[in-house]
Amino acid sequence: MAVLTAGGIRTRRTRAGVLTAALLLALGVALTLAVCLGSVDVPAREVWSIVGRHLTGGGAGSTHDLIVWQLRVPRALLAALVGAGLGLVGTAVQALVRNPLADPYLLGVSSGASLGALGAIVLGIGVGGALGLTVSAAAFGGALGSFALVWLVARRGGGFSPLRLVLSGIAVGQFLGGLCSYLVLQTGDEQQTRGVLFWLMGSLGGATWSQLAVPAAAVALGGIALQARARALNALVLGDETAAGLGLDPDRLRRELFVATSLLTGVLVAVSGAIGFVGLLVPHLCRLLVGGDHRRLLPLSALTGAVLLIAVDTVARTALDAQEVPIGVVTALLGAPVLLFLLDRRQENR
Amino acid sequence: MRLALDDLHVALAGRDVVAGVHLVAEAGEIAGLIGPNGSGKSTLLRAVYRHLAPKAGRVLLDDRDLTALPRAAAARHLAALPQERGEAFELTVRQMVALGRIPHQRAFAADSAEDRAQTASALDRVGMAGHAGRRFAELSGGERQRVLLARALAQQPDVLVLDEPTNHLDIRHQVELLALLRAQRATTLVALHDLNAAASVCDRLHVLAGGVLVASGPPREVLTPELLAEVFGVRAAVTAHPLTGDPLIAFDHRAPAA
Repeated sequence: MAVLTAGGIRTRRTRAGVLTAALLLALGVALTLAVCLGSVDVPAREVWSIVGRHLTGGGAGSTHDLIVWQLRVPRALLAALVGAGLGLVGTAVQALVRNPLADPYLLGVSSGASLGALGAIVLGIGVGGALGLTVSAAAFGGALGSFALVWLVARRGGGFSPLRLVLSGIAVGQFLGGLCSYLVLQTGDEQQTRGVLFWLMGSLGGATWSQLAVPAAAVALGGIALQARARALNALVLGDETAAGLGLDPDRLRRELFVATSLLTGVLVAVSGAIGFVGLLVPHLCRLLVGGDHRRLLPLSALTGAVLLIAVDTVARTALDAQEVPIGVVTALLGAPVLLFLLDRRQENR
Repeated sequence: MRLALDDLHVALAGRDVVAGVHLVAEAGEIAGLIGPNGSGKSTLLRAVYRHLAPKAGRVLLDDRDLTALPRAAAARHLAALPQERGEAFELTVRQMVALGRIPHQRAFAADSAEDRAQTASALDRVGMAGHAGRRFAELSGGERQRVLLARALAQQPDVLVLDEPTNHLDIRHQVELLALLRAQRATTLVALHDLNAAASVCDRLHVLAGGVLVASGPPREVLTPELLAEVFGVRAAVTAHPLTGDPLIAFDHRAPAA
């Protein structure tokens, strides 16, 4: 029996290792494909030679240089960063609210971030200004505020139930979404309204190299901060009393997680709008594959999110000839059926 | 080690739910905390394992004040088995027990050989070594409680604190868990609902009513018909257990105490 279980552990660990390797490979393939495909298809060999030349300090050469290096590579990298960020945020939020089917989108946090970002845009601070830091900061403020509001509403009366939390998240999210729509109508010209609407639905269009720094820093810092608390997350999921008995401070931990997830959500929403379902489904699927230990779950969710979002963005960009579909629309169309399937599965488990 | 609560006060929403409790569990002794619902048992225990901050008073381990220690340091001395049942998500039995090592670990460090050895030994001591790879969520109620006890043991504590560990277990699993608890020979503070179980298992009983201790002593001295009528509101006779000689309470289930 002891031998059997030792074998069981080894297969689990090996599985996580194999999965990580496979995902890293998939990440490379997805990045390459995303840069190859589009209105003009560029062969992979040419893509790599262009990227190689830029990385070694060479200048532009090939005819496709502009498309590859200035448009598609930054966009694919942004998709990877946003996907990784959504995977991390989803994992953290699910532990925070002890609900394996939660994400910042469902809990109204994305709406808060959108409202903050929109406010900054409408007030005329502009999307491009100062590396988008102002918009990111406003989105962070909005995310933190809405997260706190949802939490307070859900905790009223002292009790805590996941259902209450999700319901209050939906209420707050709808309310803030209404405010967002109002703000959109207040934007000056039709062109800007259309642009803002497109961004609200989630879009990675118009990604530039200069836009990558803020989300890259946020994902790296957020990822490290969360990974440092991976064991604590394992305990927090079981309850505050359990966490306290293990020498943790659940209230402080929750405050730290609030800040980390709001920061990540704010930055992600500022660069890509509200992209739903990724943060919800990715951690859930990863948990089915490697189990509930957050030390494995966090990095794996980040990787899976990155690969998934690159793939989805490529589809959103190339599915229709004439125009681009907002990526949030594609994740919703794909994510909703998967969520229903998972709900069904949970019902059967009870 | 000896656990002592010194004039412990715990307030919830401005009300003193625990109001000045003095209680001692001698080294290696099982101290039972009994009392009717709402008497403050769980609140008292939560303050001992630092889920709640006491309003006043001290929790002493020998001569050291636990509440003055950093949380992780306190958790290396005292482990808890609370009543809550959170979502286990997808943790395995071994991962659940390994959580007991958290107070001994640093943020990014991998599990040490010592961590793995203590986890394995704890699983072994509760007879769950053969189930280490199973999902915690698929265990039976009795198995879960044994695993949670193992998690507490993996903390290598000097003192165990348990809040009604036999709740919702069938009689066989209650007996198994309490036997395991006795076998640890650790200083233990345990809240128990079942007074007959408390009478058999505990070295001393402490009776809590309305947030204050109304009686303390060996089960034989504490569990009198008068106390049972006054504190618990039931009519009962106390005899000797025919098999063990422990006090045996025979309740009158037909009517409460006059």
